[in-house]
Amino acid sequence: MDNELPVEEKKVAFNRTHQAIEAERMLRRIKDDFPDNPDAMDYFYDLYEQVYCEGRPLYDTEKVVGTMCVQVPDELIYAAGGVPVRLCNGFYADDQVGAEFMPAKSCSLVKATLGMLDNKSTLPFVNKVKDVVLPATCDQKRKAGSMISEMGYEVHNMEVPPVKESEEARLYWRRSVHNFAASLKEITGKKITKTSLKEALAMVAEAQKAYRTLHALRKEAPSIFLGKDAFMVTNAYFFDKIENWTAAVNKLNAELEQRKEEKFSAAQRRAPRILFTGSPPIFPNIKLPVLIEQSGGVIVADETCSSNRMLYDMVAVDEWNVESMVASIADNYLKPCTCPIFTKNDDRKRKLIHMAKEFGVDGVVYQAFSGCQVYQMEHSSIAKALQAEGIPMLFVESDYSPDDMGQLSTRIEAFIESLKAKRRRKR
Amino acid sequence: MLKTVKDFVNHGDLRRFRFWLQLLLFILFIYGGYAAIQLGDNLPTFSCTYVDGKPGTCFLVPLQHRMVTTPEKLFSYAGMAILTGLFYFTLWFLVFNKAWCGYACPLGTIQDWITALRKKLGFQYVTYSWEQFKKLKKIKYALLLLLIFIPMGIGSGIFSHDMGVPFCMICPARTILPIFSGDFSQLTIDFSSKTKMIMTSLGMLITGIFLVGAFVKKRFFCFFCPMSALHYLLSKPALLKLKKDGSKCTKCGDCYSVCDMQIKDIADDVESRNILRDDCIMCFKCVSACPEEGALEVDFMGQPIFEATVQGYIKRMQKGNKSG
Repeated sequence: MDNELPVEEKKVAFNRTHQAIEAERMLRRIKDDFPDNPDAMDYFYDLYEQVYCEGRPLYDTEKVVGTMCVQVPDELIYAAGGVPVRLCNGFYADDQVGAEFMPAKSCSLVKATLGMLDNKSTLPFVNKVKDVVLPATCDQKRKAGSMISEMGYEVHNMEVPPVKESEEARLYWRRSVHNFAASLKEITGKKITKTSLKEALAMVAEAQKAYRTLHALRKEAPSIFLGKDAFMVTNAYFFDKIENWTAAVNKLNAELEQRKEEKFSAAQRRAPRILFTGSPPIFPNIKLPVLIEQSGGVIVADETCSSNRMLYDMVAVDEWNVESMVASIADNYLKPCTCPIFTKNDDRKRKLIHMAKEFGVDGVVYQAFSGCQVYQMEHSSIAKALQAEGIPMLFVESDYSPDDMGQLSTRIEAFIESLKAKRRRKR
Repeated sequence: MLKTVKDFVNHGDLRRFRFWLQLLLFILFIYGGYAAIQLGDNLPTFSCTYVDGKPGTCFLVPLQHRMVTTPEKLFSYAGMAILTGLFYFTLWFLVFNKAWCGYACPLGTIQDWITALRKKLGFQYVTYSWEQFKKLKKIKYALLLLLIFIPMGIGSGIFSHDMGVPFCMICPARTILPIFSGDFSQLTIDFSSKTKMIMTSLGMLITGIFLVGAFVKKRFFCFFCPMSALHYLLSKPALLKLKKDGSKCTKCGDCYSVCDMQIKDIADDVESRNILRDDCIMCFKCVSACPEEGALEVDFMGQPIFEATVQGYIKRMQKGNKSG
């Protein structure tokens, strides 16, 4: 019977959906289960409260453009007068809806994103999206494209080379990015100019500068900041107004500087320091980071596309004309990318090992969503590389369902205990 | 105290520093002789002998002259002269390595000025494809061999004496640099003999190509420069070094983006510690565009004198964005 109702009538206020309840529940855990959250985190908690729980709109007349992966250059969208929002989604409720599009054993993230886009009453910033930019990354994202376009969205594919080391790949991707830059005019109605692109580059660089400062502050031992909050901060970059976001991160950095001076400790002084890698934690699916920090670990760094991989590498330009800026942007979005869709993963190994040393890491937690083949396939090679350096790693296969919480927390507690024991033996 | 100095250098504006140092050295290599500065005949840069006020001479000139000899003489006293010259050349070179190209070479500086002009006029530069790059980069070694073997051929009577100093005849430094002291006489074709006519015509043609080339391609000539080839052969033990720590590199390609010489290894090679490549002109733009702490550094006798830092990188990019 339900099917016969006109679409409009199915629309319910967002704050009455399963999603809003799910978001509310996770936000409570993140806020209330931990003492000593930095005051500056209130900006972010409130932001999630408003957007994810109450469904209040963030954007008004702006042209919001949906993006599906980290390979979409935000600078270009800003330069064309649009606002990029990352559509990768973390709702379990959407994951279940998305199951009708994808085989049962597919990646939760892809399913949840499909479910969200199909949903008629979804997050306020998603409701405004008509254009979706989809880089052809993994098989599942690639196939999701046609489904998204059947839902009525305008899908703009960006071709990503499967190998990134070769000169052919560089040229191919440069051309993809160049074409994308040209096609943005049809999406936003505005052409990218030298001035607009320079401004966009400066704006994104400001945000990245703030992120890098935060990133560096996490090197402090004992830790002055928790990883679950770090994920909340970077995840907000998906949808927040970039200037507000940058200002809020700078404020947070100032507070953390204060903590550093006061020799504040955000976790137990001897809490094992964890490097998080693999499938991205995306709100409200922050369960693994929260479990790690509730079990006595502290996440000091990460290598995921919802955080470090999205914000770390910064574009350098030699000559500030549109053509060279676009070329520099293209290189920067491909060459350092440690996404597991590429043939080799030497860069990812090197990055993890370097981060582990730089951040005084005791152990690595590797999350792979069930159905995310590429992360699962890289698991053993990463484990071997880390083992050779004497860095223990825990591989966790998980999805968006809350059912595995018990089992996960047992494994994580055991891992944290083993890291503590290892430390004691060292001393 | 040391940290303050270090920060000052690492966060400094390399572009400005380089501009002024290049200008200063340009003045030295064009007018230094008038101030009675004498640096000798074995300089590892284009201190062109055809320039009136030269403070010294480019090593390629005496090298070509001395090679005009017979094989017997080459292995006796003539050989000694060449070795002594090479010794002084090497001494000069070992201190500054290929920074002679990026900071001292007047012909290099002129190319940078032409690039600045192109930028002002709003033209986009061209780059070589990787295939072209691999082929073209060999030319400088061929030129180096020719400038040694043609004089030997003259000495053995195979070539005419009119072929003397063959590289100088085609070198754009000979035609262009004297202009700066008001001497346009090199911009002529010498009709006194067939060989001279061919060589000077070739020189004029290459001068034209140089001017057009430098306008469309950054550091167009350096790619073909036999001095650069000779430098590279001796660069291993040099005191000034460009070093890379691959473990800190994310391969983001920022260094490659700003490299005038299109050297891919600077971004892609994460194994080599010494990252100097034969085309490198040691301008250190890569170091100034690197956002990874200590991933790239300039060393002098093992001491880092200029290192990549996030803060320096951000400052320089902000400045570039505002003024570029």
